[in-house]
Amino acid sequence: MKTELDNIELRPARRRFLQGAAALATTLIVPGVFLYKSGHATDAGTRTPRWGLLIDTNAMSEADVDACVQACQREHGWHSATGSTTDAQWIRKVALSDPQSGHKRFLPMMCQHCENPPCVDVCPTGASFKRADGIVLVNKHTCIGCRYCMMACPYKARSFIHEPLQDQLPVAPRGKGTVESCTLCVHRIDRDGANAVPACAEAVNHGGRKAIVFGDLNDPDSEIVRRLREHGGTKLRADMGLNPALLYQGL
Amino acid sequence: MSHRLQALPLLTIALLAWLSCAVSAADETSGFGKIAIPQPAKPDNASECVEPVEVMRREHMKFLLHQRDATVLEGKRDSKYSLTGCMDCHNPTQADGEVVRYPDPQHFCADCHRYASVKIDCFECHADRGLARSQQSRLIPKLDTGLVSSQTFRHQLERSGED
Repeated sequence: MKTELDNIELRPARRRFLQGAAALATTLIVPGVFLYKSGHATDAGTRTPRWGLLIDTNAMSEADVDACVQACQREHGWHSATGSTTDAQWIRKVALSDPQSGHKRFLPMMCQHCENPPCVDVCPTGASFKRADGIVLVNKHTCIGCRYCMMACPYKARSFIHEPLQDQLPVAPRGKGTVESCTLCVHRIDRDGANAVPACAEAVNHGGRKAIVFGDLNDPDSEIVRRLREHGGTKLRADMGLNPALLYQGL
Repeated sequence: MSHRLQALPLLTIALLAWLSCAVSAADETSGFGKIAIPQPAKPDNASECVEPVEVMRREHMKFLLHQRDATVLEGKRDSKYSLTGCMDCHNPTQADGEVVRYPDPQHFCADCHRYASVKIDCFECHADRGLARSQQSRLIPKLDTGLVSSQTFRHQLERSGED
């Protein structure tokens, strides 16, 4: 847990070092010609955020996880159309149970918005992509529906739309023949920035309780980083080195 | 051969007469065998579009194509060009929930696209109707408030292997 937090804090310094090294290297190869420009602004004022979620499973009952799923369905207009296993599912309810004690725990599973997303690596058209702020999306204008990304995702986060759809919502264009997944409520983030609240978080955060915290993992003063500093967080299958932007507590 | 040459002026006159009939028929907008000139629905309250009508007629597809990539890839949602914006003004959901859908020839987009025989697939995925007027201010960021642009950070696509 400590090492994950250290990673967050060390990244800017490491990035600066690498950028400096890259700039030096390009200058040495062809003086005056830069092979590529860094996508990151280094100035703290224009620092690119990396949006993430901290999910406190201690504070979530089974009903809360159901509420997350329903809120996502309402927000984006996906629902189990045919009752088939191939129906779109942006969030799943995952139950963990300890056979010895019988203790059960529920957590919402969705796109983990990896820093090194395998779905982006395998996409033949570049439709599966990561935005500069870390949100992993499908550009459905260029998605050809090959479903390689679905196979590559170890979290089973993506769905394919098999049937023609009607009555899509303005904020969530969806159509037959394309792949989709959790967008981290990107339309809310583009509107509200760091003050955005994804639909799933809105559904479970009542009163003073914050079971799901949205925030900027690159901002040391953000609530999500403060909470991580205090209590730590678990990345699912951290061994795969994908560095998800979703962190769980209480697992 | 000479017989054919004599027939040529006659044919020309007949063709001209037929053409003049066809042109006068096209001026009318109704009647059997004639195609009505599209009259796309205008919003009830707005006085002008985001661009002059002549520009919109010719260029709207370019505006939308450019805007869609800026929105999907870079998260810029404060452009004055947006398909949702078109629908909100030209095809809003009425107070009673009634709305014109794209398969209906009366739909704002379908009207011209049927006339011009242009097939679009925007509405396979996108909503073909705008929100009700009462809902629009809640969900759609207003233009020219400065609110959105100040919060819209510059996105640049990260290149793999940079870190």
